[in-house]
Amino acid sequence: MKTKSMSKYFISLCMAFFSMTAIAQEEAVSLKDSIAYKKNYGLRLGIDLSKLLIGATDDYFSGYELVADYRIQKDLYIAGEIGFIEKTSEEDNYNFTTKGTYITVGFNKNTFQNWLEMDNEIFYGARYGFSSFSQKLNTYTVFQEGTKIGEVSTPYFEPKTVHPNQTYTDLSAHWISFVLGLKVETFKNLFLGASVNFSKLIKTAEPNNFKNLYIPGFNKVYATNSSVSFNYTLSYRIPLYKK
Amino acid sequence: MKKYRLVFLLLSFLIGACENDDFCTEETTPRLVIGFYELENPEEFKKAPLIVWAAEMDSIYQGVNLDSIVLPLHTGSQNITYKFSHTKEVDQINFTYESEDLFVSESCGFKAIFKNLRIESSTNNWIKSIDINNAFIDNENQVHVKIFH
Repeated sequence: MKTKSMSKYFISLCMAFFSMTAIAQEEAVSLKDSIAYKKNYGLRLGIDLSKLLIGATDDYFSGYELVADYRIQKDLYIAGEIGFIEKTSEEDNYNFTTKGTYITVGFNKNTFQNWLEMDNEIFYGARYGFSSFSQKLNTYTVFQEGTKIGEVSTPYFEPKTVHPNQTYTDLSAHWISFVLGLKVETFKNLFLGASVNFSKLIKTAEPNNFKNLYIPGFNKVYATNSSVSFNYTLSYRIPLYKK
Repeated sequence: MKKYRLVFLLLSFLIGACENDDFCTEETTPRLVIGFYELENPEEFKKAPLIVWAAEMDSIYQGVNLDSIVLPLHTGSQNITYKFSHTKEVDQINFTYESEDLFVSESCGFKAIFKNLRIESSTNNWIKSIDINNAFIDNENQVHVKIFH
């Protein structure tokens, strides 16, 4: 459900960005200049606003993510994220708390042709991700199929609920992600960004008699060992040189 | 062409990501399988007209004529008494067991399996003899308890 409402924000954010670029383009047309505009190179640092927002409104989630990228060519950036997440996941018959840190490293390739001195991006990229975390199994109810008496199928005995409060530590996960996103320079060197990550697990250290169903940085693990995650960033570029 | 390759890659990621795993389809907590056999010919099934219920509860089987039945075990307890009514005679069997909880999958959560199934006490009105065929219950594919009558 969270993904659904998040995609809503994603779309509205896209709208906002596209309208911004449209305004900027109108201004640019009147300039008519033959100067070759130089691009700002530097280290861009930012935070994921969505995690802060979710953390503020959802009692079962707290987390932050720092993002960074470094321009190495006109349209190529080395990019990465680092973060911490503590999240309690509530399933039908059990609930557990995941807590851990993660780091991702990769690149972003811009495909957007900027006008004049504009420096917006529509990019794709890839990441390698690693997370180290713990899972705490808080409570579970043993699943037992209903017994059919007459026409109704109900549990014959009261299902057993256990509160193991067991923590599985030293868990880890490695994954790769495909990233799609955009960044818009709203003020000089200040960027708003949004991206979506499609990730696939490569390797995990699983807990004994449980499973990594949520991994910090990777998000909810689906049956195919894949996931989708979003982020919305506010970042600032520390300008180092122009080229 | 390059663009299409990118779209294809994205689509395959998307399709792979949208997997519906909301329904529990795996095997979960197994039930106790009881088979009814002929006393004189222990290899042969012998149907029994039955009403079966756990002590002080509703009947699970009501006037059926079967050679084998499945009964749930109480995961929150270590013993359960089942009553078997054959025509007018009622016998009861008190089973004891240990249970162990195993994680199955995201949608199913945990199931229980049962070990060291024993018969603590039983009556012999129409049931002549009881034999534990398999004291380890982790599936419903075989008979765990044989009842001879």
